Amino acid sequence: MTRTPLQSLILYAVVILTLGLILFPVYWLLVTALSTTDKLYALPPKFWPVDPHWDIFARVWEAKPILQWLTNSLIAAVGSVALSMLVSVSAGYALSRYSMRGGAAMGMFVLTAKMLPATLLVIPLFSIFAKAGMIGSLWTLVIAHSTLIIPFATWMLKGYFDTIPKELEQAAMVDGCSPLGAMVRVVLPIATPGLAATALYAFVLSWADYAYARTFLVNAPDNWTANLGITTMQGEYVTYWNDISAAAIFVAIPIIVIYLFLERYLVGGLTAGAEK
Amino acid sequence: MANISIRNVEKSYGALNVLKPFSLEIEDGEFVVLVGPSGCGKSTMLKILAGLEPASGGQILIGGEDVTDLAPGDRDIAMVFQNYALYPHLTVRQNVGFGLRMRGMDSAEITRRVNDAAQVLEIGPYLDRRPKDLSGGQRQRVALGRAIVRQPRAFLMDEPLSNLDAKLRVHMRAEIGALHQRIGTTTVYVTHDQVEAMTMADRVVIMRGGEIQQIAPPEELFQRPANLFVAGFIGSPGMNMVRGMASGGRLSVLGHEVDRRAGRDGPVIVGLRPEHLRIGEGRAQFSVRPTLVESLGSEKYVYFDAGAPYRTESDSERSKGLIARVAHSGPIAAGSELVLGYDPDDLHLFDAQTGLAL
Repeated sequence: MTRTPLQSLILYAVVILTLGLILFPVYWLLVTALSTTDKLYALPPKFWPVDPHWDIFARVWEAKPILQWLTNSLIAAVGSVALSMLVSVSAGYALSRYSMRGGAAMGMFVLTAKMLPATLLVIPLFSIFAKAGMIGSLWTLVIAHSTLIIPFATWMLKGYFDTIPKELEQAAMVDGCSPLGAMVRVVLPIATPGLAATALYAFVLSWADYAYARTFLVNAPDNWTANLGITTMQGEYVTYWNDISAAAIFVAIPIIVIYLFLERYLVGGLTAGAEK
Repeated sequence: MANISIRNVEKSYGALNVLKPFSLEIEDGEFVVLVGPSGCGKSTMLKILAGLEPASGGQILIGGEDVTDLAPGDRDIAMVFQNYALYPHLTVRQNVGFGLRMRGMDSAEITRRVNDAAQVLEIGPYLDRRPKDLSGGQRQRVALGRAIVRQPRAFLMDEPLSNLDAKLRVHMRAEIGALHQRIGTTTVYVTHDQVEAMTMADRVVIMRGGEIQQIAPPEELFQRPANLFVAGFIGSPGMNMVRGMASGGRLSVLGHEVDRRAGRDGPVIVGLRPEHLRIGEGRAQFSVRPTLVESLGSEKYVYFDAGAPYRTESDSERSKGLIARVAHSGPIAAGSELVLGYDPDDLHLFDAQTGLAL
């Protein structure tokens, strides 16, 4: 079906408007980082600084332990992805393939955990981690983030496994694989887009967390994640928003890079179920 | 290659008995087809034979070895699935060699066997393609290649042709037949298509509702069906069934009487194949007014009503009435009188209560 010029015009206008709405905060973050403190509150606002301060990135990188914060965020995110994928792949596969007594109810119960707001779980988790002597450890984030990721990831993967014909595993078993071997050699390679999409969801959820990091790690500066570290840059009397913006850009870069690399898997992973 | 012995195998899901005690002895090198309508238990039986589903009871022996509790990979069988079940992330070469690799065969031997299978099935040019780049027929050949390359004791095939279009199905049917002739491996083939069953099988097992109805070579199934179900299932168009009355060596049917001994007196169901009816020929003749005439070029299907006293329950399933399959010989008009004839020896007689052949 071809579009009329008017339809094309409306379509492009809507796309550009949507993109503008999504990208404006990112653009404004850059403008804020590059502006001097006295220009930040100028009215009317300047949409591009007259004299952009590109050196701010080097200055913030040296002044603050950005690398350490990013490393901590990375450890927490990779740990959360690894733990939650291990559990979600197994649980999603079992829900998809095996009929268990009460399996459907169990699957729904898993999903109810996702319905609880993350902040509601902060207090019981803090209590558990405190008793276990884990407060201040990055493990608290790995475990806490996994509790949020696993319910949704399990269902996301179950949906993906449902689209893979059972006959493939049966063929693999006739060919000499064990049930686990059929899953590892046949199902998981086919499910790569679904696995990538789920892993990315898990990574972003962990990377974006602030509430849990603030609660469990505030007294352990060596283990601060990037989001927690940035909030400590807010001064009691003066806040250098350009410094904070520059640090925020450092935090956003890894996510952008990962998205660029995994974008094709992500789209494939999210739409594969709809194609069947 | 090996013989297969299935002894009282059954399958239940709770109170639901999907496969009643099933026993079958399959000779070494024999091609046996399990056929029946959807839900008759034929695919369940094949999966139990493959080890993909556990049996609720009974015993399976392949080559004299009890494999009832063995995993599918330990049974030394190969299976071809309805949807081919090719591994989409592997090339044709890797697909065909997968089972050999799983068995730890050295790569030189795998290459040799894969190339041999590729030559037999003419899939050589596609060895480095992925399944998604192949047509339906090519995929089916790859699925067959994956089965034959293993040189298993038996092939199990689960409706392998049902995803192909009609022309390709006929072609692949002949190829599978030829392949079996060449390599002679014991084969159990499941289908709902009676034409596949009749053309390919050494013996056919007809199933219905989880029960075996008859086990016989195709010709015998056609000539001597054991009951009404088999009589109606085998043959295209299906056998005409009408009510009749047997008395003292005579049979009253369709408003006339013929000499035909039923074995006992009383009501019977009379079966007459559409191709045994001829226009104006035969020792027994009767007049009909066709309700519909379908021309297929070389032959015609003439539909007519048996009349209320002779209709059976199966007529309600075939809304167009009884059929005569006659050679194309001049125009036949619906509504005008037509004399049909048959030889009384061609009639099949069934018990009106049990449906068993008399």
